[in-house]
Amino acid sequence: MKHTSKFTFSLVLVLLSFLANAQQKKTDSIPPKIERYGIRVGADLFKLTRSFYDKNYKGLELVGDYRLTKNYYLAAELGNENKTTVDDRINSTTKGTYIKAGFDYNSYENWLDMRNMIFIGLRYGASTFDQTLNSYKLYNTSTYFPEAPVVSPGTKFNGLTAQWLEVVVGMKAEVLKNIYVGFSVRMNRMISNKKPDNFDNLYIPGFNRTYNGDFGVGLNYTVSYFLPLYKTKSTPKKEEKKKK
Amino acid sequence: MKKLILLFFLLSLSFSSCEKDDICDEATSTTSKLVIEFYDALHPTVLKNVTNLKVKEAGVTTFFAFDAVSKIELPLKTNEDITKYSFVNNSSDTTIDNEDFLQFNYTRENIFVSRACGFKTVFTLDPTTPYVKSDASITDGIWMQTITVNTFNIITENETHIKIYF
Repeated sequence: MKHTSKFTFSLVLVLLSFLANAQQKKTDSIPPKIERYGIRVGADLFKLTRSFYDKNYKGLELVGDYRLTKNYYLAAELGNENKTTVDDRINSTTKGTYIKAGFDYNSYENWLDMRNMIFIGLRYGASTFDQTLNSYKLYNTSTYFPEAPVVSPGTKFNGLTAQWLEVVVGMKAEVLKNIYVGFSVRMNRMISNKKPDNFDNLYIPGFNRTYNGDFGVGLNYTVSYFLPLYKTKSTPKKEEKKKK
Repeated sequence: MKKLILLFFLLSLSFSSCEKDDICDEATSTTSKLVIEFYDALHPTVLKNVTNLKVKEAGVTTFFAFDAVSKIELPLKTNEDITKYSFVNNSSDTTIDNEDFLQFNYTRENIFVSRACGFKTVFTLDPTTPYVKSDASITDGIWMQTITVNTFNIITENETHIKIYF
């Protein structure tokens, strides 16, 4: 529910910004289209705010992209998370760093001087982390004896790694000059997952909660600043030639 | 556009692969009980049914009742290395009832099962003294004539761990 309302909010925000930009259209004559190229850097607000209200979570994610061609952007996320997973029977803490790198493809055809994105993208993600098994319960189908007390081994597993692929769908809207808000959802598929002996990676920084299969989900809600490096005034076709 | 469709197809695939893993499935192999089979002491290959067998932890009042079965399952303590049971055969007839104690000695290891189930305990019976047989305070003789260990590792309930001949 929390996520749904967040999503709706972002959606409305993005739509509003489109509207605001659309209203700026004053003339029917087509001015030369200016494409701006540069670097965009920002942070994930979702992880940042969650660190305040969720005592079991501390995390930070920095995002960045670089406009490569008219529609393609090199994109990356770099983050650090410290999360305590509290399940009915297991309590464990995961700490680690991750990097995701790949590209975004902007499928949104901007009008005039608009610079918004509705994009799909791919990422390769990698994480190094360690896990602490704080406590667990023993599962026993017999209730003859009172349930065994919770076992608290506090075992720490170091040097764990995981790699995965992400499919990203999202949008970015320019709300103020050079300031963007963005939202994206991600589907993850595990490639490799180094599990600890006699335990499992219940949470992986960047990948998030693991399920029995290889799949995971994620999202982010970003605010970023666009640093323009150069502009082109030419038509898209010419641009592509130039880039080659 | 084709790429878009392909990606969304992949997305929908990934949704369909989500599995429910919040509830521990009853079919999951978790902490095993001790499986005991009763045999006829005169014909050691023939299973023999117990009659009104009452089994309880020594010093406790709640009990398991077994009648006309040759195979029983008993839990072992997961927080101690010994479990001592009292076996009362023919418990319904006070003239012929007979109580014996059987103490199982073992080591334990906790094995990770899953997020929903947590851990399970596997037991290994002590290789030198897996059990200690003793009579009750009322010395009425021991009805369990011979006890053999069939499997020292108590991992699954699909096999017999202890055989009792009487």
